[in-house]
Parts: sequence; C-alpha cells; structure tokens
Amino acid sequence: MTTTSLPESLIATLPGDYYTDPDIFRLEQEHIFESMWFCVARSSDLDKPGAFRTVDVGRESILVTRARDKSVRAFFNVCRHRGARLCTEESGEVRRAFQCPYHAWTYDLDGRLVAAPNLTKMPDIGRTEYGLVNVHVREWLGYVWVCVSDDPPSFEEEVVGDVVARLGDVEAIERYGIADLEVGKRIVYDVKANWKLIIENFMECYHCATIHPELTEVLPEFADGYAAQYYVGHGAEFGEEIKGFTIDGSEGLDPIPTVSEDQDRRYYAITVRPQVFINLVPDHVIFHRMYPVAADRTIVECDWLYLKDVVESGKDVSRSVELFHRVNVQDFDACERCQPAMSSRLYAKGGVLVPSEHHIGGFHDWVQARLGTRQPQ
Amino acid sequence: MIPVCRLADLPRGEAYRLESDPPVAVFHTDDGEVFAIDDTCTHQDASLSDGWLEGCEVECPLHASRFDLRTGSVDAPPARLPVRTHQVLVEDGMIYLALSEAPPNLPPCGVARLCGGAA
Repeated sequence: MTTTSLPESLIATLPGDYYTDPDIFRLEQEHIFESMWFCVARSSDLDKPGAFRTVDVGRESILVTRARDKSVRAFFNVCRHRGARLCTEESGEVRRAFQCPYHAWTYDLDGRLVAAPNLTKMPDIGRTEYGLVNVHVREWLGYVWVCVSDDPPSFEEEVVGDVVARLGDVEAIERYGIADLEVGKRIVYDVKANWKLIIENFMECYHCATIHPELTEVLPEFADGYAAQYYVGHGAEFGEEIKGFTIDGSEGLDPIPTVSEDQDRRYYAITVRPQVFINLVPDHVIFHRMYPVAADRTIVECDWLYLKDVVESGKDVSRSVELFHRVNVQDFDACERCQPAMSSRLYAKGGVLVPSEHHIGGFHDWVQARLGTRQPQ
Repeated sequence: MIPVCRLADLPRGEAYRLESDPPVAVFHTDDGEVFAIDDTCTHQDASLSDGWLEGCEVECPLHASRFDLRTGSVDAPPARLPVRTHQVLVEDGMIYLALSEAPPNLPPCGVARLCGGAA
C-alpha cells in the first residue's frame, strides 16, 4: 500500500466509497443508527393517546405512540403473528388499538395483544409475551428519542454528552426551555446526498462566506471560516447593525426570557451524533433531524421553535424562518453537488480538509471506529 | 341461576368471561348496570369481553361490529346476527346468571375442531 503524504495544512477525508457504497451504508445502519439513540419525533407530534408516527431507524421500522397514561411508547412495527408491517401510514391517530390489516391481531396502546381471531381457544398465548416488542424510548428537549439496540448506550453520556461537549455544560441548553417551545414552522427537505456530507457541512464554516451571504451578514465572524462548532462554548456574535436572527437582520420575535445575558445576540450550533443538529438563537431554536434513507439520499426534517405566545398569537415568523431555510437550501444544494462526484475515479481516495475543517477528521475517525473499518496508520 | 363472580371484583367499564359452553361475557357498565351476552362475535371467533365497552354497547375488537348489551342486536356488518342476551341477577354482592334457552348464533367454526374446541 502506498502512503500519500499530504502537506501539513491538509488531512484526508474518508474515501469516496464511504458516501456511495450500499455495503458501507448497511454497516452504518447496523453500527450507528441501530446502536445509538435516534431522534424520531417532536413530543407534540404525539399530542394525545393513540397519536402515532412510524419512522425507519436503520433497517427497522419503528412505531411511536402515546399510551393512555400519556407516556411515550415505541415498538417494532412488526405484527408478532406473521410479520406484516402493522402501521403503514407515516403518521396518524388510532382510537384504541393497532390492528394488523392481515389477520386482525389487535394490540392496545401499551402493545399488549388484546384480541385475535380464535384467541380464546389458544389460552396458552401470553398477551404480553406476544404483544408488540418494546423499543427503548426517552423524551428530552421536547423530542422523542429511541434506541433499537437491546442494550442501549447511556443517554446521558451520548446525547446529553454531545451537547455538553459543544456548549460546555447542560444548563446552557436548558436555558432555552426547548421542551416548552412550540413548532412555528416545519420544513422537510429531501436531499440527494449521503448523510455524512450533511453532517460534515454542518460542522464547518469554510463555505459560509461563499454560499451563505445572508448568514454571514448576520454573523460577520463566519467570514473567517471557523464555525460555531469549532470551539467549545462559543457562540457566534450578531453583527453590530443586526437587530435579530432574520433574513434581513431586522428585529426577531420575543426573546426566550430564560436565556442568559452572555447568550444574548449569539448563535450556537450543536451536532448530536448521529443525526441531530440544533441551532440556538435568543428568540428561537432550530432543530434538525436527519433520516438516512440510502447511501445517496437523506430526508431532513427541520422545526423552527418559538415561545408559545409567539406561535399562538400568530406573529409573523417568516423573516425569521427564511434565514435558516435559505441556509438549508444553500447547504443541501452544495451536498447534492458533491454526491455525484463521490463515485468519481478521481475521488476514490477522497479529498482533503483544511485547518478550519480538521475537526471533521475526528468525525471520520469516529465513523470508522464504529464501523470497525479504521485503516491501520 | 349460575354464580358468576362478586360485583366488587368486576369494576365498572370491565368484562368477565364465563367459561361456559358457549362462553358468556358479563359487563359492568360505566353507569353501574350489569349485562350478560354470548361472548363470541357472530361473525368470527372473537371474544366480546376483549371488546370496547361504551355505554350499553360493546364493539367487537376485531372488526368493529357493535352489539347492544340490552337486546343483543348488532349495528352493522360484518356481523349480521344478534348475540343472545342472558338474564342477570345481583344479590348480596354476587352476580348470578340464567342462561338463555334460545339457540346461540355462533360463527362458522371449522377452525374450532382444529383447535380442539367444540365444533
């Protein structure tokens, strides 16, 4: 094997096939998405008992719902009888139970098997034993997270840990009261790019001055290429003339009152591996969830969260939403521009990262360590 | 009269399945009344005591036909025939039952033979 020596300023990216190879994607499904905590819904999407959502987590379809006692439940979306997919809709509401459309095996909101044809003639069938199989579930920041692994990692160490690693402490995010905010806008993007291209893009700001003119106007320090995710506990400061985090720098919405003085007029960004990206500004929070569909396709669901009063009073949030919506479109266009080239002969060994992107190398090491594909140095 | 169970052991909103032949479902409604009907839906072998009780009606848990606990009548297909109703007596905190002598409207039950049940 030949080793290519790079100039000191540069380090290597992952090889091109990490972004295109279905076998690598399958390994990622198994060792990343099916092994870690994965964010599947806003708690308010499941606003009453029987409201449900189905989400693919790795290779598994997961059904999340709210039980009568108001707790969130998550199950494998698989009938215990002959394996038919129980719920085929992406979201909806059942009154009392989930019923398999094949043989009518019927499960209550706790997953217990409550009825099936001839069930009373088979008294040896345990109603819990043959109920829906539970998936580990947690609610945090007003979002529902699941882990389909039998042996989930510590939520505190992994999910909360990623937030602390970026912000310095957990109180910094708690001051935004994210669980109590309300969804003012949700946009879903269908991105024809590998999920890692999207994460890597979120992690660096070397591109900001080129593709994000509006964002760089609001956060002038982004022009030097060091992202809010380069430092610990650093929020990018609004420009002097900027009144709020809006498309034209005009006044934002009502500020979240518990945000501290040193967080005011600043923008913070956090990646919670493997698929959540959070932005914090004084008057709202932008919460992205990435759903990898294939090696070359990722659905990104993005919520803009505001104080309840702001949403309920019908205040105009459009200038506020437009700023990061435009950033998203600019970013996803860039990712889609990279995706086809990932399979180019020229990119077989990958590309390079400049110093302001070197921390992305840490993400690549992490991916390879999880997949067990790390090349010997 | 057949003793069923103590009224105190059957909370409102719940049902008790009496393993008679054919089985009988005894319901204690939210309003405090007690009714008994055949437990088996007349459309397919499903236990109405596992169904959804609302007022004086129970909805079959499999295909949603609703039976009136007072008359046994069914509201809509797929079940077409009524279930039998049985006379109920509550005395000294005990529920008793007098089984109807009418022929039951049981679903077609070839499967029952395979399951070892009564054909």
